[in-house]
Amino acid sequence: MIANEEGLRRLMRLSLTGDKQAYAVLLEQAGKWLARYFRQKIAPDAVDDLVQDTLISLHRKRSSYDPARPFLPWLAAIARYRWIDRLRQTYRHEAQMLEDYDKAEDSHEEVVGARISIDRLLDLIPQSQAEVIRCVKIEGLSIDEASIRTGQSESLVKVNIHRGLKKLSTLVESE
Amino acid sequence: MKQGFDLDAMVAELEPVKPLRITHAIWAVFAVVALAATLIVLSKGMRPDVMLGDPDPMFLLRGGLLLLLGGGCGWAALSMASPSVGKQGQSWKMAIAAAALVPFAALIVAMTGHVDVAMANMRFGLDCMVFSALGGLATAVPMVLQLRRGAPTSPERAGWLTGVASGGLGAFAYGLHCPFNDVVYIGLWYSLAVGVCAVAGRLVVPRLIRW
Repeated sequence: MIANEEGLRRLMRLSLTGDKQAYAVLLEQAGKWLARYFRQKIAPDAVDDLVQDTLISLHRKRSSYDPARPFLPWLAAIARYRWIDRLRQTYRHEAQMLEDYDKAEDSHEEVVGARISIDRLLDLIPQSQAEVIRCVKIEGLSIDEASIRTGQSESLVKVNIHRGLKKLSTLVESE
Repeated sequence: MKQGFDLDAMVAELEPVKPLRITHAIWAVFAVVALAATLIVLSKGMRPDVMLGDPDPMFLLRGGLLLLLGGGCGWAALSMASPSVGKQGQSWKMAIAAAALVPFAALIVAMTGHVDVAMANMRFGLDCMVFSALGGLATAVPMVLQLRRGAPTSPERAGWLTGVASGGLGAFAYGLHCPFNDVVYIGLWYSLAVGVCAVAGRLVVPRLIRW
């Protein structure tokens, strides 16, 4: 079953009233939605942690959801915030893992509107910044590897990552 | 699985919650501004022209612009407690642009040499700045509390907006006492008051609301 906006919104409204059954279903469906949302936007081995972080934020900040508004844009804002937080943390992994990861499954654009996707967020910052963030923070390349691939100097790669992440954090709610 | 993550526990501890309402926070901010204005008037007195029911046009313009600045930025800051991708909230830019006309006009007037009032009343100018900032500090409290309960996705911007809004509203409250109508005086000291609050907001508020 693929969760949709209408179903998730109904579950969230019930959850705000304390309906535990609805909440259990909501968390399960939101978790699946988030796993698709983050796919290929972070190292595969970090997806589960990021989904769990986001679900914990959903739980703690659920009163910030306005029942009069759509649910998925709210969840996407929280997910993007947690994603940027995670990108700030340094990690490395095998770039190969990304390429092998679950290519057969649907891309999340088929499930959620492109306007709230992470790709859309990356499109909002200068290409030189998005490029190095993808290389280093998502694919896990080293700074010098990213420098060779993009043609930017190593110091420029570092500067562009820093500026790009800073810019992203101001654009979380942009579409 | 991440340590400390337990889906069943999250479900088990679910309690009904009331969604955050921006209107509640707006009323709280309004109450603090009213309280600050009352304390200013009681302790330092109200402007004579306002007391006589014949306010100077500059008083009205200044008060209106400060309310616009504080209201526009305050609304934007409080809205940030409930995030949503695609939410349009750019009205604060217009409010800041409108309020920026005063220091801009003051700069032009000052360049023509009309700086006597502003320079001769620096002590009062400092009073303006300090009391406006104190009023702003009080106004910022309900705003920060709302942001702490919510989920602002850009704590830095929320900090700037909280600072500008509280500075504008604090200056509005002090403006009920401030007898000066000189544009250079207002452009200098009121801008400083809002600027100090904005910087303080940027430096302090993000630490209090990060989640």
